Amino acid sequence: MRKIFILAASLLLLSSGAAQAAVKALVAAHDCTWPPMEFVDTDKRLAGYSLDYVQAIAKAAGIEIESRNVAWDGIFPGLLADRYDFVASSVTITEERRRTMDFTTPYYEVRQAVVLPKSSKAVSVADLSGLTLGAQIGTTGFFAIERVAGAKSRSYDEISQAMEALYSGRIDGVICDDPTAADFALQNKTYAAKLKIAFIIPTDEKEYYGFAVKKGNTAVLELLNKAIAKVKADGTEEALRKKWIGR
Amino acid sequence: MDKSAPPPERLIQIGDGASIPDPADKRLITAWSIAFAGDITAVAALCIFSPEPYWTILRFLPDGIIVTFQITVLGICLAIPIGFITGLGRLSRQRAVNLVASTYVEIIRGIPLLVQLCFIYYGLGRALKMPDLMAATAAMGICYGAYMGEVFRAGISAIDRGQTEAARSLGFNRAQTMLLVVLPQAWRTILPPVGNEFIALLKDTSLVSIMAMTNILQRGREYNARHFEVFETYLMVALVYLFITLILSKGVSLMEARLNYYDR
Repeated sequence: MRKIFILAASLLLLSSGAAQAAVKALVAAHDCTWPPMEFVDTDKRLAGYSLDYVQAIAKAAGIEIESRNVAWDGIFPGLLADRYDFVASSVTITEERRRTMDFTTPYYEVRQAVVLPKSSKAVSVADLSGLTLGAQIGTTGFFAIERVAGAKSRSYDEISQAMEALYSGRIDGVICDDPTAADFALQNKTYAAKLKIAFIIPTDEKEYYGFAVKKGNTAVLELLNKAIAKVKADGTEEALRKKWIGR
Repeated sequence: MDKSAPPPERLIQIGDGASIPDPADKRLITAWSIAFAGDITAVAALCIFSPEPYWTILRFLPDGIIVTFQITVLGICLAIPIGFITGLGRLSRQRAVNLVASTYVEIIRGIPLLVQLCFIYYGLGRALKMPDLMAATAAMGICYGAYMGEVFRAGISAIDRGQTEAARSLGFNRAQTMLLVVLPQAWRTILPPVGNEFIALLKDTSLVSIMAMTNILQRGREYNARHFEVFETYLMVALVYLFITLILSKGVSLMEARLNYYDR
């Protein structure tokens, strides 16, 4: 009996070891409230730039990648708890995040856009002093608000809630990544009538989106990096950017 | 009250409410003290022996605690009159009044509070621009007003009909009977479940996170979003909530003790 148990246990160990050596399938987490990068379309399917990008990676690496919709609030804790293999959800690579996660090579350059009502005359960060600004909780947009001297911050669960609050006049402005700001303030007919992208926050360092993996998970990190290089080289990335962002 | 006789041992009744200690019940008092002492010790020990991150988290929360208190107090102030009127309305002989009160209870009781908050803040937001605190208070008051209406109704109808009949036959009119005879007795039945509703309301203020209001939970989440110290943050948030609700439940039980004076 005991021998059988040991045999079974060693078999189990062997098989799990083998699974680790050759990655065949990965799970990616997206917070699908961030159009046009990742969102739920009218057919309830997950769609957007990063969703297509992840599938392009899967093709390039010859593996399967399953996309899962996860609330932003718990997306990094979930990664650290091994609920999925990587986060592909418009995550800006920051020094602070690097302390807890590893990032792939960048796949998109991003800037922080300030969305204000059309009537607003603010044209620089200094003009934002004294205003109440909203952003999605734990995003670089929210951290940008905290750096604005004299501004009050409000953290919403989803960026659409912040935009709605701005539209109905509860807050004075919203800060978020520029493609998403454009999607709400320029593409959405209701919002476009009342809101505008006032300006882009100037920064010394460029911001990039990267895929986040758990610290030390080099197997997945290398696999993703190799695939990203392929996707960049064969022109797929450019095609996807044209399709979703239009430039 | 006969002080020489020991208080009779008694099991916890479901009607007492899970979180409200009855001073006559020794076991429950012990439960309260254990929880309270444990909570304080845990917070103190965590902050002293591991100030990073616990003390940092604790210092991040105070303005959230203030907002939580504001919503709770204002919500209670709104819910009690609404509940009182609804309760009386549910017992009213006037068909129209009864129907309005009952419909209000049926509708509000059937919609989750989170949905009501979303509706008031976002759904009505474009037409009705309420300040955040007012929107939160209104949602809390309207929702808990319906719950409390049922508590008031149950408390009042629990008073023996003979009381009403006696008062009426002594020449009291309907209003006098209600105010001078029935309600003073009904209070003692009503208060424990109302106290339970207070505590439930305080805990439900965490739902206003959806409106980006800085309550305790929201502050914790904001801290978390930057530092990813998930276990530590939520542990601290839980301990702070427990501390506040324990104080509140003690207050309710003291108030109850005063009202129950003649029972003992």
